[in-house]
Amino acid sequence: MLKPVVLPKNAFKLFFQSLKGLGTVYAPVKVSEKSYSFKEVHSPEEIAFEALRTILPPKKFFYPQEETLIRYKNGDFEEVQPEKKFQVIFGVHPCDLASLGILDTIFSSEPADSHYLKRREQSLLVGLSCMPDKHCFCNAMNADTAGSAYDLFLTDTGEEYFIEIRSAKGVELIKSLAEKVSDANPENHEAYKEFWKKREAAFSHGLETENLRSLLDLEWENQIWDEMGKRCLSCGNCTPVCPTCYCFDLVDIAGLNAKEGERVRQWDSCQFVGFAQVNGDFNFRATPADRLKFWYRHKLHGFDDAYGFKTCVGCGRCTESCPAGIDDIVQVVKILQGKKENKHYEP
Amino acid sequence: MLSSQGTVPRIAVESLTGCAGELLVILENLDKLLPYVRVVSFPFAQSQNDSGAVDITFLEGSVSNPHDLEKLKRIRAKSRWLVAVGNCAVWGCVQKSACSHCKVEDMLKAVYGQDSKIEVLPSTSLDEHVKVDVKLSGCPINATQFLSVTANLLQDHLPYITHKPVCLECKLKENPCVLIEDNLPCLGPVTAAGCGALCPSVGAACYGCWGPSQDAQMDAMAVILQEKGYAIDEVLNRLQSFGAPAKLFERMKFEVKNERV
Ligand code: SF4
Ligand code: SF4
Ligand code: SF4
Ligand code: SF4
Repeated sequence: MLKPVVLPKNAFKLFFQSLKGLGTVYAPVKVSEKSYSFKEVHSPEEIAFEALRTILPPKKFFYPQEETLIRYKNGDFEEVQPEKKFQVIFGVHPCDLASLGILDTIFSSEPADSHYLKRREQSLLVGLSCMPDKHCFCNAMNADTAGSAYDLFLTDTGEEYFIEIRSAKGVELIKSLAEKVSDANPENHEAYKEFWKKREAAFSHGLETENLRSLLDLEWENQIWDEMGKRCLSCGNCTPVCPTCYCFDLVDIAGLNAKEGERVRQWDSCQFVGFAQVNGDFNFRATPADRLKFWYRHKLHGFDDAYGFKTCVGCGRCTESCPAGIDDIVQVVKILQGKKENKHYEP
Repeated sequence: MLSSQGTVPRIAVESLTGCAGELLVILENLDKLLPYVRVVSFPFAQSQNDSGAVDITFLEGSVSNPHDLEKLKRIRAKSRWLVAVGNCAVWGCVQKSACSHCKVEDMLKAVYGQDSKIEVLPSTSLDEHVKVDVKLSGCPINATQFLSVTANLLQDHLPYITHKPVCLECKLKENPCVLIEDNLPCLGPVTAAGCGALCPSVGAACYGCWGPSQDAQMDAMAVILQEKGYAIDEVLNRLQSFGAPAKLFERMKFEVKNERV
């Protein structure tokens, strides 16, 4: 790991050009009044630097919404390999970097997902600092610093970017910009610390998570689950938008001549009634309340016993994307903790 | 291959009361099928039609008059697999929902005059009368799904058709949500996917033309739309436009509150 450097903002265009030199660059782009999406960009002007959360998280670059895994023909089958193409994802905030760290652990556990890992290998992640809004709670979930799943991380200190370098790929890129960057001096370090202090102070969620483990177990029968279940549309929006949700469906699409076809995987959601339905028309999670409660538990207490981390990184996407307003993790946890009165979810 | 006579499978494409939308989709894709099947009957597209037994019949339209009903029974009797194609055949579509709002006789008089001799029945879906082997909804159907259903049936497999909601396709396309951002009365959460989230992809609300998704949460949908300021009559009208069966609305009982998180 190289010592941090600073890049004056007026040299960002050159920085961007070097990124482009590596491959296709994706960055947050404004797609509507309130929404952003990671899309291919050709110039810095297209980037929405103010974007907090994109509709879909960056997991889509490594684990695409839909992909063909296998093609078969005349009794033989061929494993379809991910396209060989280098991608640069620019503007990834700490929560999303933390989520990729989590997905790296999950997808590299045996049996490892070679498609995900291959795409991770042929990419460069450039993190970017952010100022939280009212739905952000990454700092309560241990996901508010850059973690380890990045190559470069840019902190916006006003006139310049303070750049942390994490990987060999990152070192290479910074070396190519030697003319433009300089080693961070004590003043730059001060500005960096100042920024992160200000950012820490900007969180307004008031969420305390020490007792989450026991809370989710103890409150398994809390009536709030049924109350929220009655509002739940089972639309499944909470899961594709979650940066750590990884469930998929596999479908075989047969060709008409019976000799060829392909196997496709597509993101699925545990909020759909068919997800836990098995033969004999038995369903492990038959009602929206069952599914919603399962999801909350999975995000807040599903992985900590086995892996030591929670799979919610506090990005606030589910809260923003739930048409029923019931994916407000912060408020629901506070109600379960008895710190907030439950007057919203009563039927 | 499927045909019981050990010959090329015989298929038929027929219609009852519908708009011919599915027939057009099938016609457009017929060249892909032709190497594998014999089209023995497709009155919409060919003049020589045979009424003998077939391996698969794709049947569009709802049962809306006594003639439809007779025809449906005849088709069922001669078909090994009966595939209901399109919302009309699967759910009954707009003509069925119209029949739940007013008497079919009144509609007949309003449209064809007081002393019309036309015989009518309240519109119904195919499975209200006969056994339907495969239901492929759509308005019109999705060509990829149609080809995949056919490929499965040619192998004697019942096809796997999911009824996940339009929201899935919408989110996979990463559309901004018109229900949340624009407060449009989008029915994506309770409508079966297949169209590729056509309407929300161009900024419009889904009006449910594909028919209900599996276990559609009509009550919750009505609550959310009312909170957005839509009147309950309007909401129910919208939810019922495309033939969603009455039993999906039985759970609608709890009151609406305006308070949100
Ligand atoms: S559960 Fe919600 S807040 Fe937590 S990581 Fe997933 S989308 Fe973000
Ligand atoms: S919790 Fe919200 S986003 Fe998730 S399925 Fe229910 S209504 Fe949809
Ligand atoms: S726009 Fe409609 S279909 Fe798309 S996510 Fe929102 S509610 Fe679902
Ligand atoms: S979005 Fe809804 S209304 Fe539009 S085509 Fe699809 S199912 Fe029909």
